[in-house]
This record gives sequence, structure tokens and C-alpha cells, in this order.
Amino acid sequence: MASSDEIPAADAAGRPTPPGNPMSVGRTVIDKGAEMMQSLKPVRQFKQHLCSFALYGHDLSRQIETHHYCARINQDFLQCAVYNSDESRAQLIGVEYIISDDLFKKLPLDEQKLWHSHAYEVKSGLLASPHVPDMLERRELDNLAKSYGKFWCTWQVDRGDSLPLGAPALMMSPQGVNPGMVRPDLLKKRDDKCGISSEQLEASRVEIEGVNTAGTNADYWMKHGKGFALDVVETMMKLRTPFP
Amino acid sequence: MTRQVEAHHYCSHQNQDVRQCLIYDSEGPEARLIGVEYMVAEPLFLALPDDEKPLWHSHEYEVKSGMLFMPGLPGLVEHKDLEQVCKTYGKTYHFWQVDRGDELPFGIPQLMMAFTRDGQLREELAKDIEGRYGVSFEKEREKREYMKGPENGIHPLANGAGKGQMLELREVDLPPVSSLPRAFI
Repeated sequence: MASSDEIPAADAAGRPTPPGNPMSVGRTVIDKGAEMMQSLKPVRQFKQHLCSFALYGHDLSRQIETHHYCARINQDFLQCAVYNSDESRAQLIGVEYIISDDLFKKLPLDEQKLWHSHAYEVKSGLLASPHVPDMLERRELDNLAKSYGKFWCTWQVDRGDSLPLGAPALMMSPQGVNPGMVRPDLLKKRDDKCGISSEQLEASRVEIEGVNTAGTNADYWMKHGKGFALDVVETMMKLRTPFP
Repeated sequence: MTRQVEAHHYCSHQNQDVRQCLIYDSEGPEARLIGVEYMVAEPLFLALPDDEKPLWHSHEYEVKSGMLFMPGLPGLVEHKDLEQVCKTYGKTYHFWQVDRGDELPFGIPQLMMAFTRDGQLREELAKDIEGRYGVSFEKEREKREYMKGPENGIHPLANGAGKGQMLELREVDLPPVSSLPRAFI
């Protein structure tokens, strides 16, 4: 079984995503109680919502709109929960980590292969703050344009999976050359829905600088024509007791 | 099984039967986002393809042993939720191996399993949690004795189908780079 499987076996077409019963009153009451009584500090750190696009690392023609909810840990590091829409019942489709150029350049070359650059998607207006495009200030944009991301997608909703199936998929970022360019119809759909114009954003971001990725392994597919997939394999588990 | 991690789950309901959770290594504002977990009710698990089931783990032991708890919630409320969790199956990936000292999320995701019987959880980890949160797993175990696991028992294919399951990275060939825009019909 692999993240690059075309259609996972027998996931019934036509099921809602995800299947399951509507919330009962009792369940809602527990949730409300928990929300009031528990400190939810880690998730309250998400302060930014970014919308962009991502491509499957093993098949760049599969492209998805992504909604990142990001928490800045320090000047060089953000951690993001990634969803497939900005609605309250959006599916959690993965996690992306974003690091600065400084941190990235210190990574071993082998590790760098798993990361992608952000300069193109920032400068081209693909990456945007939905409904309030000016919310993304110049300083933040400069920061993001020089950053790199590592994005694992754990729920391939676009493949029709009504539940998260298989292994995580490594995602890549859109770039200015094919097969890395975002399909115009996807872009238009996103722009219309979010009330933004990526063309206008691109014009306003002309002065933003990217980074020099020469000599690094960022955007590995661009230089080497290779992507990555994850396979699930059986192994011997190191035990303390029998399992399960 | 020798590598074990304390995990703080922040969950929301997609519906009555499906939860999605962000996993952190602590509960403070500086907590690191280390993974995700999806939890589904038993009927949904049973409907999964057989080669998918091994990637999911049961929750019955974690709940009934007391090691899974909800900080800050009164026992009665907590138990109402845990009665449901006890019957669910989860699928967890971790991306950041903080237990081995990684200062950034290196490498590939790790498929995680849950504890399934006594003797697996390292005693010092258990004592540490009990001390910090003022809980007693023993006492909770007694209170939770009434709870029931999945109606159909724990499925033999769950929990890795009894084997270790790991992920491996593989390179794949991609179409060559071209600066010509594709023609879309």
C-alpha cells in the first residue's frame, strides 16, 4: 500500500465525506463543556489563515486548494494545520512546517529533498489571505517568500477518500514551470470564492524577493525529475510484551 | 514499542462518529505540533478495506487502563466521553520525533500504535504523568471497569494486524520539466 495508490481499494463512491451520524445533543453538550473547562493553549496559537495550493509530490497533476492555519513559534518557524476549506466542518488534511532560509540551509541534503520553496507562490499571488488580502503585510510576505515548507497530507479527499486512507503523501509547492503550474480553473474557482484577485496580488508583490535555492535539494522534482511516495511495509516491532 | 511519547490531543468532531485531532507534545503555548489522529466509530472501522485496517489501533485498553484522560474535566463528564472513545479505532501519524531530540521535524512520518495491554507503558512515563496531573491510573481503572470496548471485540486486523507497520520513502519518476503551459481543454 502506498501514498501514490490511484484509488484505494473499495472505498465506496458516493459516501459522504466523512460518513457517520449527525452530532447528538449529548455529544454537543460534552464538547461545549470541554471547551469551557479545558485550557486549549496549543490550538489557540493559530493566528493566521493562509490559502494556497499544493501538488502531490508523486503526481504534480493532482492539485488541491489548501487552507493553512498557522502558529508562529519563533522568527524562523511556523507550524500549520492544513484543511481543505475554511468552513467549520473542513477536513484536517495534513500538517505543514515552515522554516526560514537560515534553518533550511543547515539541513542535510537528504532532508532538504522533502521540502519545497515558497517564493513562487507568494510572488504570483497564489498564496493569499482569503477575503482580506491586505491582511498579509509586506514583512510577513517577505518572510514567507524566503521560507521553505514540509507538508504531509494525511487525507486525500480529492481522490474521493471519505476517510483518511493509506500512507501520508508528501506535497510540493506550485512553481512557475510545468508540471508545477496551478491549473487556471482551480485558481479562478479559489479567487472567486475568496474574493481575491491573484493577478492583482502578483502585481502588488513585484518587489518581494525570493531565495536562491541553487545547490540545495528544495523542490527536488525541478532539478531531478523525481518525486516521492511513501509505502507501508511490515516490519518486526521491538517489543516489551506481546503485541497486541 | 520501546519508543513511547506523551501525546496531547486536541480534537473536533466531523460528526458523531468521526473525530480529527491535532497532537502536541505538551499543553502549553509553546507546544510542538507533532502529529495528527483520526478516530472513527466501530461501524466505520469495520467498513474500511482490509488492507487499511492494520493502520488503525483500538482504544479500549488506553481508556480502561486509565492512561487516557481529559485534563480539567470532571470525572462524570470525562467518563461520558470515554465510554464512546473506548469503542473507537484511531489512526495516528507523527511527523516530529521529539523523543529522540529532533529540534525540527526530520524524516518521514511514523505510523503510531496504541497501548494494548499491561506492561507496555514505561513505568517512569506513567509515574511522571500521574505526578504532574494528580491522577491515579489505578483508581481510574477501577472506575472505568464498567466501560465496554468495540461491540464486535477488537478486530484482528487492527493494531498493525499484530505486526510492526512502518513507512518507507520511494522515489518516483515525474514528467520532465517544461516551461510551456499545458493546453487545457
